[in-house]
Amino acid sequence: MKWKQTRRKLFGEQQRFVLTLVIPAAAILTFFQLIPIILGTSASFRDWMLYNPKKTWVGLSQYYKVLTDPEFLKIVLPNTFLFMICSVVISLVLGLILALALNRSFRAQKLVQTILLMPLMVAPVIAAIMMRWIFNDQFGIVNVVLEALGGEGQPWLVQRWSAFAVIVLTDVWLWTPWFALLLLAGLQSLPKEPFEAAEIDGTTAWRVFRHLTLPMLKPVIIVCIVIRSIDAFRTFDTVWALTGGGPARETELFSIYAYEQAFVFLDFAKGTAAAIIGALIILVVGLVMYRILDHARKVSS
Amino acid sequence: MSKVQQWFFNAFAPGTRRISFIVGMSVACFLFAFPVLWLILTSFRPEADIYYVYKGTDFTLDNFRQVLANDRASQAFLNSAVIATVATFFSILVTVSSGYMLSRFKGPIAKGWFGTIYALRCVPFVTWVLPLYFVEQRYGLYDTYLGLFLPHIAVHICFFSWLMKGFFDGIDPSMEQAALIDGCTRWGAFLRVALPSAIPAISALAVLSWLFSWNEFLFALILSGQHTPVTTVVMAQFVSEMGMQWNLMAATAVLALVPAFLLTLFGQKYVIRGLKI
Repeated sequence: MKWKQTRRKLFGEQQRFVLTLVIPAAAILTFFQLIPIILGTSASFRDWMLYNPKKTWVGLSQYYKVLTDPEFLKIVLPNTFLFMICSVVISLVLGLILALALNRSFRAQKLVQTILLMPLMVAPVIAAIMMRWIFNDQFGIVNVVLEALGGEGQPWLVQRWSAFAVIVLTDVWLWTPWFALLLLAGLQSLPKEPFEAAEIDGTTAWRVFRHLTLPMLKPVIIVCIVIRSIDAFRTFDTVWALTGGGPARETELFSIYAYEQAFVFLDFAKGTAAAIIGALIILVVGLVMYRILDHARKVSS
Repeated sequence: MSKVQQWFFNAFAPGTRRISFIVGMSVACFLFAFPVLWLILTSFRPEADIYYVYKGTDFTLDNFRQVLANDRASQAFLNSAVIATVATFFSILVTVSSGYMLSRFKGPIAKGWFGTIYALRCVPFVTWVLPLYFVEQRYGLYDTYLGLFLPHIAVHICFFSWLMKGFFDGIDPSMEQAALIDGCTRWGAFLRVALPSAIPAISALAVLSWLFSWNEFLFALILSGQHTPVTTVVMAQFVSEMGMQWNLMAATAVLALVPAFLLTLFGQKYVIRGLKI
């Protein structure tokens, strides 16, 4: 009896409708994401050089190779996490400030908003090449200005930490408007009454921000952090166009490392093994973040 | 610390510290606009003066002429536009229905689907694009329009379904239920009742989707070859393999910015309205 009911539930009219709604999306995901992931996982257990694809099973030795590679452990992983944290925190803070500023009405508000949102339309590659030009050690405008002011021009992109700082700067430039946009949308959808009440009570701007705006905005902020952290972890374009991972592979992030192993050093198996290690790390991070997000939503509602 | 914070927020209070607000916003505007302005300036400088952009007053349209006369570059613009438009159209088609499903139906299918897209969204691009190269080569999709825009749709499914779900969650389902009781089919309730109220969200996603595909680099780098060059890759090549042609790179970049800029200009109102997550 119970079995019959479930059977009817699974193949009822509603269930057919539900399935039709997702099947196109599911088909595309299967072919373009799931199958490649399965293929990649399988490749990561094999001996698969692009110039000599023997495809013999070698067990976990590719993973062992990646995890004992000092480049991966001492440079790529710390770089990736440091980049993720710096980029997300700085652009969140700046984005919040911009959103608060844009949420008030002043003359030229529309114009300022358009200018501030400009980086949103710029491709990360364009932004990165632009920054490479601006921070060029001989002809870059930054060095020209520095020297005109009596300072000394720096070879920004050939020293590890200054190159890393330029990468973070580029990313912050690109993504601050994104935070500002989403937080602005969040601010505009907040109820007006508590703020009016606070104004009548003569509360200071800081207290309004600390005790009203921030708690009410918290769910949006957390969603932004989750989305951006996951994206920052896989950053490729910016670094590729700015430094190519240099100087001497010192600014490589995880995506660059995996790409280089596969298509520059032609060790496809090692590349996929690194890519899968990265995917596992970010899946765990994503899961933890999802828990936090869910918890914050429940608390706020 | 709290004194500093208080000062900071008072500085933004209306009336009191107007000047500091104006100065702050001007500095912010300058910093966010400067790189783009610098790029535009570079694109108008003749090749001989390119290393001294800040000196001299020669301006020329020659760089743009050279880029447009370059077959590969002009082909790339066309390709990018086609890929971005087609990808946007199909992404909206599949993500609206999948987001609607996530919002309106509970049960194992919805739960499983939500888990799948959340997990797949976390998976970094390289993890699936490296092997996708082989899948596409095997099925003859490598270096074709189809092979370039379909992966973009896969990216959008994982993100936009989530955003669409949030949007449909904010729309009261009682109208659709009323339509169902009145004898409307499920498809009718979805297409005629729910869909029209989702137009703001759809426009927002269309803008984001078009910009994503237009600006995408990693997929194009791996999945495109001689036949279907796209703008981002061609532009990057101006300052690597063919030597350092900063003027041509800048001209290409400026040309690539024009459609994106127009779209952002006219689309930002929809994006802000449609993106309340």
